[in-house]
Amino acid sequence: MADEVEQQQTTNTVEEPLDLIRLSLDERIYVKMRNDRELRGRLHAYDQHLNMILGDVEETVTTVEIDEETYEELYKSTKRNIPMLFVRGDGVVLVAPPLRVG
Amino acid sequence: MESAENQTPEPELVAGFSSIRERTIAENSLVILLQGLQGQVTTVDLRDESTARGHVVNVDAFMNIRLKKVLHRDRRGRLTQLEDLFVTGRNVRYVHIPDHMDIMETIQGQLAKSHRVRNFAGGRKEYAKKKS
Repeated sequence: MADEVEQQQTTNTVEEPLDLIRLSLDERIYVKMRNDRELRGRLHAYDQHLNMILGDVEETVTTVEIDEETYEELYKSTKRNIPMLFVRGDGVVLVAPPLRVG
Repeated sequence: MESAENQTPEPELVAGFSSIRERTIAENSLVILLQGLQGQVTTVDLRDESTARGHVVNVDAFMNIRLKKVLHRDRRGRLTQLEDLFVTGRNVRYVHIPDHMDIMETIQGQLAKSHRVRNFAGGRKEYAKKKS
């Protein structure tokens, strides 16, 4: 992003996968991360490493607890909200438009 | 920037970056925004689920972060106070950006800073195009 501000002429055609992310700038997106984390927020900036700046973010951390006796799987999720977050790209698994539930 | 360092002035303070390689890496990624955070208080979420809140002293092109006056909370919630903390770039998961910060302004400010230094330091025209 800093590079584009500085030197290149930004194109409007989609040429490579990162261009698809460019289309989502300023939109709300869904990011699936490593360690069972998900982020939903507004994409302000990204770079080739998939480092991202997200605004109004909701982070969901999902954990599975196994009941000792019944071996039942209990899925728990913890959410928290962060106004502006820089995300390091190596934790990102996928980027998508927000999922519509139901 | 904040109070002056007591130790020998680090190359970053003089030239902006330790090497041309670092400058190029930083200018071509979002790390340049983190470098604009120097002097501010932020929270860094680490890969090991711990968090560190303190003043950002320095961020290099590899996202290695040096913090001072840190409150470190480990994954169990235990708090430790630290005068100095160095976090390897690989171990960073998130950096919380202070609410009041303007992202574009900060990035452009950082780029302007390194271009001013470049021209002052010798006028070797590395880039044909210049942005004011």
